[in-house]
Amino acid sequence: MPIITYKNLKVQVDDEGYLVNFEDWNEDVACAIAEREGISHECPLAQEKIDILRFMREYYKKHNSFPLLRAVCKNLHQPKNCTYEQFPDPIKAWKIAGLPKPTTEVFAYIRHNS
Amino acid sequence: MSELDGVPKPEELLKIDYQPPRKGWMDTPVNFKPGTYNYPAASKNHKILELPFPREWSPMEEDWKLPENWKEIVVNGIAERLSKYRSFKVFMDICVRCGACADKCHFFLGSGDPKNMPVLRAELLRSIYRKEFTAAGKVLGKLAGGRELTPTVIKEWFYYFYQCTECRRCSVFCPYGIDTAEITMIGRELLYLLGLGINWALEPAAKCFMTGNHLGVYPHTLKDTLEFFADDIEDITGVRVEIPLNKKGADILFVTPSGDYFADPGTFTCMGYLILFHELGLNYTWSTYASEGGNFGLFTSHEMIKRLNAKIYAEAKRLGVKWILGGECGHMWRVIHQYMDTMNGPADFLQEPVSPITGTKFENAKSTKMVHIMEFTADLIKHNKLKLDPSRNDKLKVTFHDSCNPARAMGIFEEPRYVIRNVCKEFYDMPENTIKEKTFCCAGGAGLGNDENMEMRLRGGLPRGNAVKYVQEKHGVNRLACMCAIDRATLVPLCDYWAPGVQVTGIHEMVANALVLKGEKERETDLRGEPLKELEE
Repeated sequence: MPIITYKNLKVQVDDEGYLVNFEDWNEDVACAIAEREGISHECPLAQEKIDILRFMREYYKKHNSFPLLRAVCKNLHQPKNCTYEQFPDPIKAWKIAGLPKPTTEVFAYIRHNS
Repeated sequence: MSELDGVPKPEELLKIDYQPPRKGWMDTPVNFKPGTYNYPAASKNHKILELPFPREWSPMEEDWKLPENWKEIVVNGIAERLSKYRSFKVFMDICVRCGACADKCHFFLGSGDPKNMPVLRAELLRSIYRKEFTAAGKVLGKLAGGRELTPTVIKEWFYYFYQCTECRRCSVFCPYGIDTAEITMIGRELLYLLGLGINWALEPAAKCFMTGNHLGVYPHTLKDTLEFFADDIEDITGVRVEIPLNKKGADILFVTPSGDYFADPGTFTCMGYLILFHELGLNYTWSTYASEGGNFGLFTSHEMIKRLNAKIYAEAKRLGVKWILGGECGHMWRVIHQYMDTMNGPADFLQEPVSPITGTKFENAKSTKMVHIMEFTADLIKHNKLKLDPSRNDKLKVTFHDSCNPARAMGIFEEPRYVIRNVCKEFYDMPENTIKEKTFCCAGGAGLGNDENMEMRLRGGLPRGNAVKYVQEKHGVNRLACMCAIDRATLVPLCDYWAPGVQVTGIHEMVANALVLKGEKERETDLRGEPLKELEE
């Protein structure tokens, strides 16, 4: 499986670039994946983005599933389309949050809905 | 507009070549072009569903790792189905290749590929049937329309039986009433015997057994989600709705597709259900076990249809409800209306459905004991039981997409239109040959609603998109209403591509916007949180 290196970091991702170990994630890893996905070359990421990523990780820990996107934004007091605005595609946000690839049906419901 | 990776622009896609290839169809091999085929199912999903020959394979590779005795498996599989399904035998024998169906398929209209003519799609299987099961085919071979079963035939089946959404528009025009969807279904079953399935159909089915629904939403997550909707509803209307879950002794079990509580815009329709049931004071319940109305068995095999459908009735029995109310779903209604009764019925432990509000007996649901929410709501409006203020939907100019299954498998045409006309003032139907029983498919049903197949979906979506564009240009239509969760996912990119500016909505979203609740505060926004008067750009 590929290893991505960033600054002095080394983490394992799967063939499609999803982080393999949930616990490997930190804000620098987020920067590394974001850069790889062409979303952001800034590091650290903007606070709004970080808040979304942390919320998604907490949600995943509790529910093992993709969150209701409106609930993400409402809980964080961000505009109601925050995940689409901050990361044009919320599935990219999920990936940058270090979470495993969602199921194919999740893609169909989420990707084209901005 | 969403990014559609690798899909040509609409003006490019519109250059459709209807010229058939120079060689005959039997001599034209299948070409797996990216964007037009579906990825295979992961072996883990085959295993979860106990399907044979789980393995990793790719359509782009020469060797599909077929089991050694694959030919025998297919021929025996056909024989078994010929003896089990009289309809299949008739459909194999009766076609005179008149061509009435040829230009009725959205995939043929959008791709120009002759093998997407329903007659030719059926010939892909019929040619094997002739060769293996008819005297003329055995003796005369190609002259009698028969051909050898080879791995190339299997590849062709995989490509074209997954370029059919089982929408059954072609069947409406067939003078013999051949149900090409059933031929596709048998074709897919035969492929599953060889371990050849697609992930977008199998993964949801597997999830359904593991978590209760296609999207993999766990019971505590469903509870949290519905409570989030209740909070949102309270913010918008000032009224707190209750969330009855797994309530024993409720009168009615409510079952809807998981897409309704997973992503927008379906979630607004889900909020619509909650608001309506609260206002009626309905004694009903959601279930975390039967938390899926859809049935991806319909896109897999008859056995899988039966297994998945049985969950709903087992739960109805466990909870001791009187009858079942079903939400805005598409293919769920083909299963309920046309398969349930002989597969898992009769559900004689339930009562004949009667609306507790109007006293109407739903005679049509006498046997399945399951009522479509559009019949339920239309009946409420007819009996003047709802206080409606359609002016709250004044910013909407609405058209209605008849979802293939409720339309052609149930004949439910007037109820949704009646409801829409009562909750909003401007409604415009699309042209007659694109609606009701002649409705054009969203091109993403039957397991094909995935991204890897996007070019084919948009090609197949052209006839529907064209009709939406027509009412958009003629009447300024800005909302496409539908009563199907797959539609609410697939019509979004379809409209973005073919009729940009038209948004997708469920019907109960509009019902709840118009519904005046007892004790509500003055509404400032609709359920989307947008101002009532103007559409947000």
